[in-house]
Amino acid sequence: MSDVHVKLRVGREAYALPVENVREVAELSGLAGVPGTGKAVLGVLNSHGQVLPVFDFAAVIGIGRDGDASRIVVAEHGGRLAALAVDEVTNVSDLGPEQEAAELGFLRCAVLEDGQLVGVVDVERMFESLEREAT
Amino acid sequence: MKKPDPEFLEIFRDEARERLDRIVSTLLALEQGDARADAVDDLFRDTHTIKGAAGMVGLDDVRELAHSMEDVLGAAREQALFQQSLVDPLLRTADALRRHVEGTREPVAPLVAELRDALAGLGADAVAAEAPAADTAEPVERRTGRRRSIRVAPEKIDTLLDLVGETVLHRRRLEHALDGDASASRVVADELDHGAHLLGGLKDAAIGMRTLPLSSIVGPLPRAVRDLAAESGKEAELVVVGAETELDRGILEGLSELVVHLLRNAIAHGLETPSERERRGKPRRGRLELRAEQRGSVVEVTVADDGRGVSGETLAEAARSSLVDVLARPGFSTATEVSALSGRGVGLDAVKQHVEAVGGALDIRSDTGQGTEVVMRLPLALALLDVLLVERAGSAYGLPLASIEEAMALGETMSLGGKTALELRGHTVPLADLAALVGASAPAPAGRSPVVVVNASGNRVAVVCDRLLGKEEVVVKSLGPLLRSLTMYLGAAILGDGRIALLIDPAALLQAAEVRRPVQDALLRGAVDVAGDTEPPKVLVVEDSLAVRELQRGILEAGGYRVETARDGREALERLGRDESIELVLTDVEMPEMDGIELTKAIRADPARSGLPVVIVTSLGDDADRQRGVDAGADAYMVKRSFDQQALLETVERLTGR
Repeated sequence: MSDVHVKLRVGREAYALPVENVREVAELSGLAGVPGTGKAVLGVLNSHGQVLPVFDFAAVIGIGRDGDASRIVVAEHGGRLAALAVDEVTNVSDLGPEQEAAELGFLRCAVLEDGQLVGVVDVERMFESLEREAT
Repeated sequence: MKKPDPEFLEIFRDEARERLDRIVSTLLALEQGDARADAVDDLFRDTHTIKGAAGMVGLDDVRELAHSMEDVLGAAREQALFQQSLVDPLLRTADALRRHVEGTREPVAPLVAELRDALAGLGADAVAAEAPAADTAEPVERRTGRRRSIRVAPEKIDTLLDLVGETVLHRRRLEHALDGDASASRVVADELDHGAHLLGGLKDAAIGMRTLPLSSIVGPLPRAVRDLAAESGKEAELVVVGAETELDRGILEGLSELVVHLLRNAIAHGLETPSERERRGKPRRGRLELRAEQRGSVVEVTVADDGRGVSGETLAEAARSSLVDVLARPGFSTATEVSALSGRGVGLDAVKQHVEAVGGALDIRSDTGQGTEVVMRLPLALALLDVLLVERAGSAYGLPLASIEEAMALGETMSLGGKTALELRGHTVPLADLAALVGASAPAPAGRSPVVVVNASGNRVAVVCDRLLGKEEVVVKSLGPLLRSLTMYLGAAILGDGRIALLIDPAALLQAAEVRRPVQDALLRGAVDVAGDTEPPKVLVVEDSLAVRELQRGILEAGGYRVETARDGREALERLGRDESIELVLTDVEMPEMDGIELTKAIRADPARSGLPVVIVTSLGDDADRQRGVDAGADAYMVKRSFDQQALLETVERLTGR
């Protein structure tokens, strides 16, 4: 696994996903609601002819947000795909060296970057969590 | 041993003679090198048919011999290479087959052994022949001057199918873009129509590479059922429903064995003996049903019996997990005594494993005393589905056209025990809001909203929506593994304008409506309120396609019109002759018997009706039809593809002066 991560912002928090698990970063548009799904599911969207579920990343991690998300990060793991709605994709870069344990369920660790704590996502565990949140 | 039925035997002999004649002449042509390119296919097919028929009339020697011959031919076909050395043993086998068919008895073992050796010889050769065949068919072709088949990795066909699906969507986007563009030239429209033909052909060809109808494995089953039942002292008949349903070739190959296994289970464990059945008030002969039905991106293959079902204890145990888990537990058996048929070591767990291995799922339903149904849900190679698209609370939904009985406007409703229903030609149908059924929150639908009557396994529900968007053939896309537990949807479709429509599973919809059994019709009929308003204008819809006809009926009824229908021009004229209250005719052009142009001319030529407004519905690009329609005296024309509710209603409103 390389150290390159996609850094994103949700509300006032920052998270990082390993770049090899990110298929695409795109605008959030063309969302269709799906009745019967869990609260964290915003709906589905058309991504290059494929129908993907869209999760509100803020709801998945259990924080509030001001206003609607505008971007999606399409995450991939073990043949499963999910679009994560976030406020901003800040950059793609190496992880900082300072790593410490994180409390949140699907975080591998946290790093300190420019005075901000960045949660490093364990993608496999995140998908387990998405599966629970889906319906 | 089984006794051949004399009547069948004679039919079999006639057919076998004819096929053997053909086999011999084909073999001779192959020997001389002037056989047709698909000669080996022909040989294989003829031999295969003889084998199957011989099995059914109980001529085991013939079956065995033909089977050995079929193996050799199958291998030869697989290799795209027919070796001359095969001609002699195959001819001698054909001769022996003929003698057996005519009734002489001679041992078949020597010939069977010889064919087995020939087959083994082919096997050794196959290694040498395989390498070039896998890379390119050319060397084989050059060597033999003909090509039987080529091997293609399944993934390559899958890629092709994906691309075809994408092309269908692309085309839809193009059509959508052109619909809004009145300046689109006729050349473009013509090319687009031409493209539609090509794409249709490509789609069928691509799907055909992966699919075969269920009927291709059904042939020997009725006979097998009869024999299996006889061996266990029971009586059974097999009914096959949906034999034309197409299944993925790879899945179908393994399916035959599973179906036979399930039928054997049903006979051994499910069906009671004839005397026991009589005691229980059932017909002596048990009924087995093999049923196939496409449901979105899956094909359901069901094996059902009307036997004793599973016991109450088993059902109670199943309530804690599932019937599949209980019955498929290795070693579980519902038979109290082990008969010759059961206990063969292959249980339901093997069926479950096989179904799951191809990406499917197994489901079992059973009622004690009533019977058992084993449902195999198998994936389809490429799922194209005809749906009626509807809108409710701003979202688009697709309802499989096959499950739709009709569409109409919401009129009088009635209520019993807090549940609403409407009357449909003397029957009551429960009424429900589509939004409520799928679990969406939405404001109450407006009065006279469209209502679509959905039927699943004989149960009906009328669902209210806001708008009918039209009929469309869509590519069924999976919602993906994360949303797989949503049973309401068969999948989703991406529409021409890029919107996503959720495709509704009619069975799940019915379940949500809790429609278990029809409400007492008689009870409700008394409560029907007959409305005595002034009657709205009556429109005659002339169209040979049932789906389009019903769709147009739905739109017009939703718009407050009364609607009569006719299947072609002739029927339309008859109806006009009988019913003077018709105020407008909406007609298709292409129809059997009398087309829409002739109908328009006939209306204009009749002094009593010459002023009747006629609206012609044409396909995009049929400018000639359109011109002919105008020449014939039509008042308006509409393009089928851009056929939307609003445009139709506006035109009809204008012409009826409503």
